[in-house]
Amino acid sequence: MESELESELAPQATAGQAAEPGPAAEPLLRLTDVQAGYGRAALVLRGLSVTVAPGSVVCLVGPNGAGKSTVLKVASGLLKPRAGQVVVDGVDVTGRSPQQLLAAGLSHVPQGHSVFPEMTVAENVLLGAYTVRDRSEVEARTDFVTELFPLVGERWSALAGALSGGQQKQVEFARSLMVRPKVVLLDEPSMGLDPKATAVVFEQVRRMRDAGTAVLLVEQNARRALESADVGCVLDLGRVHITGPAPDLLADPRLAQLYLGGRPKEVS
Amino acid sequence: MTGALFAQSLVLGVLLGGLYALLAAGLTLYFGVMRVVMIAHSAFLILAAYLAWYFHERTGIDPLLSLVVTVPLFFVVGYGMQRFLVSRLRPITLTTMSVLLTFAVALTIEGLLGFVWTGTQRRIQLGYSGTSIEVAGVSIAVVKLVAFGLAALSLGALYLILRRTSFGRALRATTQHPEAARLIGIDTDRVAGLGFGLGLATAAVGGTALALDYTIYPSLHWHWIGPLMAIIVVGGLGSIPGAAIAALLLGVAASLLQVPLGTTWAQTVFYLALFVTLMIRPQGFFGGRLAQRF
Ligand SMILES: Nc1ncnc2c1ncn2[C@@H]1O[C@H](COP(=O)(O)OP(=O)(O)OP(=O)(O)O)[C@@H](O)[C@H]1O
Ligand SMILES: [Mg+2]
Repeated sequence: MESELESELAPQATAGQAAEPGPAAEPLLRLTDVQAGYGRAALVLRGLSVTVAPGSVVCLVGPNGAGKSTVLKVASGLLKPRAGQVVVDGVDVTGRSPQQLLAAGLSHVPQGHSVFPEMTVAENVLLGAYTVRDRSEVEARTDFVTELFPLVGERWSALAGALSGGQQKQVEFARSLMVRPKVVLLDEPSMGLDPKATAVVFEQVRRMRDAGTAVLLVEQNARRALESADVGCVLDLGRVHITGPAPDLLADPRLAQLYLGGRPKEVS
Repeated sequence: MTGALFAQSLVLGVLLGGLYALLAAGLTLYFGVMRVVMIAHSAFLILAAYLAWYFHERTGIDPLLSLVVTVPLFFVVGYGMQRFLVSRLRPITLTTMSVLLTFAVALTIEGLLGFVWTGTQRRIQLGYSGTSIEVAGVSIAVVKLVAFGLAALSLGALYLILRRTSFGRALRATTQHPEAARLIGIDTDRVAGLGFGLGLATAAVGGTALALDYTIYPSLHWHWIGPLMAIIVVGGLGSIPGAAIAALLLGVAASLLQVPLGTTWAQTVFYLALFVTLMIRPQGFFGGRLAQRF
């Protein structure tokens, strides 16, 4: 167990690890031309495409109401797309249920608080392995997440609802990693946190990546999030308008423009 | 009030409170898991009481044995009712519409009871119906003790199911955060169905306990649903321990007030508690954090 943990935590293990299928690193998650919306209202996503490569943190930024959460809901099966494709590690999983997508390797930490407040941290974390039958696997994963998030181990028997917002996020992260996901979907993990807790959260996003889990991160706080990401995508009006290495995006004047009012002209 | 009378009322209140606690636990379970207000809960309670009475009439065997049939039957009916009726309601208006739907179910059950067994009052006569035991000057009817024992056992079983089983954890998770529950792979629709079945099973047990000690008639359920609704609000909607504590306290209060005020006025203690709760602590008194979200 210990040695497995070591290797999973070793940063250099990540790049090659999940890319076995081919040299061209087949993405772990690919959304292609996704259209989605709620009820009879207008579409929220209008032909959105995004990919997450093994061992990377992809950050999707965009203004309030742009449809960031909707992207993650489509990816995790909470919302069925009207058109387009969701592919996880080469398998087409479009329109499957959340359970099936979890089994396919996607774990989703939704926006806002999502711990089970009246349960202990232990119960919360172990419920992350609800679909795992193998007890020794559950134990191995428990060791793994408590190592990655020491706080979770320290507050093991506390009621989750009694923790601070930042601490609850860590419990949610730990819970989401219990199934050994290929990609975790994080919806605005820094929302409502003070600067210190925000820094901790982004540090932990990097640690998840270094431990071998790819991350699709959604943030409103673009600058802060892009600093922790490898790839950035700018979402507006239901589509990804700009994609590129996160550092380039940080320097891109169009990003500043998008956030300082004035949307970019639709090019299509 | 003399000391003996007080002790007697207290004991009766605890015994009655136990039955209230079991029934309120079922009622608060539907609300917690599905945000459903189940007006027909007490109608199923009376239905179970009738089935116990009819079973006894027909076979002459102790009505407690009817539980072997009614508990599984009600569980299945509850599961079906959730999957085929309640789940058809639109999520956005679920709570309001569930009142209407289950009100209709209650009326249907009441009508059927009247149709099949007429409006005549019924009562089970058992060998031990008139027997009571004397403890420290307080006399307790054996049927009341049996009913309380049944309620306590069932509440204990319910507690163990919720705390110790994987299904129980899934059910609590669904109650506390439905979306997160789905995201960790819980089939929340199935859990809701099973939760509804579990709630209705409490009505089966409660009905049998009721039949031991009460005269029953088809419209009796209206006398139960009001106090039960009040209890789960006072206890904090969705909280089973809250419901159980509120049930015991209010059951005892109603029983104690019966001596000076009479049966009818004593019942108002439930509604008084409801008003006070809504005025000063609308999330309920024993519900904890969860209840504050409603
Ligand atoms: N359950 C829902 N039913 C109807 N419309 C919804 C629902 N959820 C979101 N929407 C609408 O879809 C659009 C996109 O919402 P979404 O939550 O994906 O945005 P977001 O980028 O995550 O915003 P935020 O930064 O506020 O989280 C918004 O216009 C929103 O009003
Ligand atoms: Mg959002």
